[in-house]
Amino acid sequence: MSAAVADHTRARPSGFLGRIAWHWRHDPKIELWICWWVMVSFYQLFGIVFVLMTRVMPPPRPDWDQARIVQWFSDNHTGLLVGFGIIFLVAGMTASSNAIIGYSMRRMSVSRAFAYSYIAIYSLSAIPGMLFAGILLSVGAMRPDRDPRLLAWLYDAGFLTFVGTMGVFLIGTLVWMIAILIDKNRVFPRWFGYLNICNLLTEFVVAPCWIMKTGAFAWNGSIAFWVDTGVFVVYTTAFIVLLRRMVIREDFGDGPLPDPS
Amino acid sequence: MKKGDGELFLFWLLPALGLTWILAFLVFPGFAPPMSPTMSAEEVAAFYRDPNNLPWIRYSMIVFNWFSIGMIPFLTLIVVQIRRMAHRTPVLSYAYLGCLTGGPTLLFVANLFWLLAAFRPERDPALTQLFNDIAWVTFTGQVGFLVADCVFLALAIYLDRQPHPVFETWVAHFNLAIAVALAPAAFVAVTLTGPIAWDGFLSFWVRNGAIALWLAVMTIVLGRNLYRERRAGAIPEAGFAG
Repeated sequence: MSAAVADHTRARPSGFLGRIAWHWRHDPKIELWICWWVMVSFYQLFGIVFVLMTRVMPPPRPDWDQARIVQWFSDNHTGLLVGFGIIFLVAGMTASSNAIIGYSMRRMSVSRAFAYSYIAIYSLSAIPGMLFAGILLSVGAMRPDRDPRLLAWLYDAGFLTFVGTMGVFLIGTLVWMIAILIDKNRVFPRWFGYLNICNLLTEFVVAPCWIMKTGAFAWNGSIAFWVDTGVFVVYTTAFIVLLRRMVIREDFGDGPLPDPS
Repeated sequence: MKKGDGELFLFWLLPALGLTWILAFLVFPGFAPPMSPTMSAEEVAAFYRDPNNLPWIRYSMIVFNWFSIGMIPFLTLIVVQIRRMAHRTPVLSYAYLGCLTGGPTLLFVANLFWLLAAFRPERDPALTQLFNDIAWVTFTGQVGFLVADCVFLALAIYLDRQPHPVFETWVAHFNLAIAVALAPAAFVAVTLTGPIAWDGFLSFWVRNGAIALWLAVMTIVLGRNLYRERRAGAIPEAGFAG
């Protein structure tokens, strides 16, 4: 530890690249910072691809006829294929987010079962929650001349797996929430424990998307999509900020984290 | 952790299972040569209906279904190696562990769709083509977890700062090079012809060659580590417990 303390006092160079090189060589928290930055970069890329490139968020309507669905695939042909190519390439970045969140639970006064079950659940989540949608909509976009009935099925399946994958996020969030609320090491403030409840409830609210084709509870609806996405953005922003504070306060000890100074 | 901790059993599974993958790969008629994405629905249906192809599609994919998940114990041995590195936290081993089921599971999904297409080849050719497309796009394009595992392992090796690091630095460079070789295949669906298409130079030959080379090289370096650790008697515990 004394070497790490001495490293801290070593002069940090100015300039962007110089600072990165300093952290790489001397920062004892470099592994945590790498995970944190990869997590932040992933959510930026996710937003760019899903909102701007593939136009999957906000989602188009579930009640379109086959001709309109064929039109949608052809309007978004290149964006869907290149955008999901990016997602296929970077999908593994999600592991970095799961690792640092799992680590936050190892830092708490709770059993390591919490961290392990969170990592196990969220490692699985990307496949039904994101990659199936990418595969199915890419397969739709790659052959615009495919039978319109099959394109319509790919459209339904793509959006329903994306919006309607609930359980992995529901149980994963529940595990993290319980750990935060019973933790004695004050890794996260209690209000964030309660914010987990909001994120968890969205997974119940979205369920009617499997039944409704129009209205507020359809997959593009004002509640099932807009309210839930709003909660997700607030929740994600909150844990990104709180994980950053956790890394700053981290002293590699076992007990309570020092108060933020 | 003693000499008889069983890691060598898991290790020797890989060369044995690797033989089955090579066998399944060579026998599957869709790989020799790789099917063209420009085939019409009728041509794809005819490929599955061909009595010279159909049994070999089924046999090779059943073998692949049995053994493709066998990559996971091998990758888990690499997690244990990461845990022996001089890191202050276990996050890089968590990240590696988080990725290692994703790659083989997605290969498994591709395998299911090839088997489904072969189950009733008399089905509407448009459906056979759809299953075949889903299988190929999943098989070829889902490189993200493999790329991330290569990058996480490289980072872990670079940050393993001790007099006798677990892996030599060249292993990190090698993993980054493999990650670069796998990357273009993610864009497989963008085009039906050329090097990125699923039968193309980058998406088929470079991608699959890189995976085979990675397995061969990592078998050698991992095997050397495991035998060296056992010759030394005790295995050094990781810096961070759990």
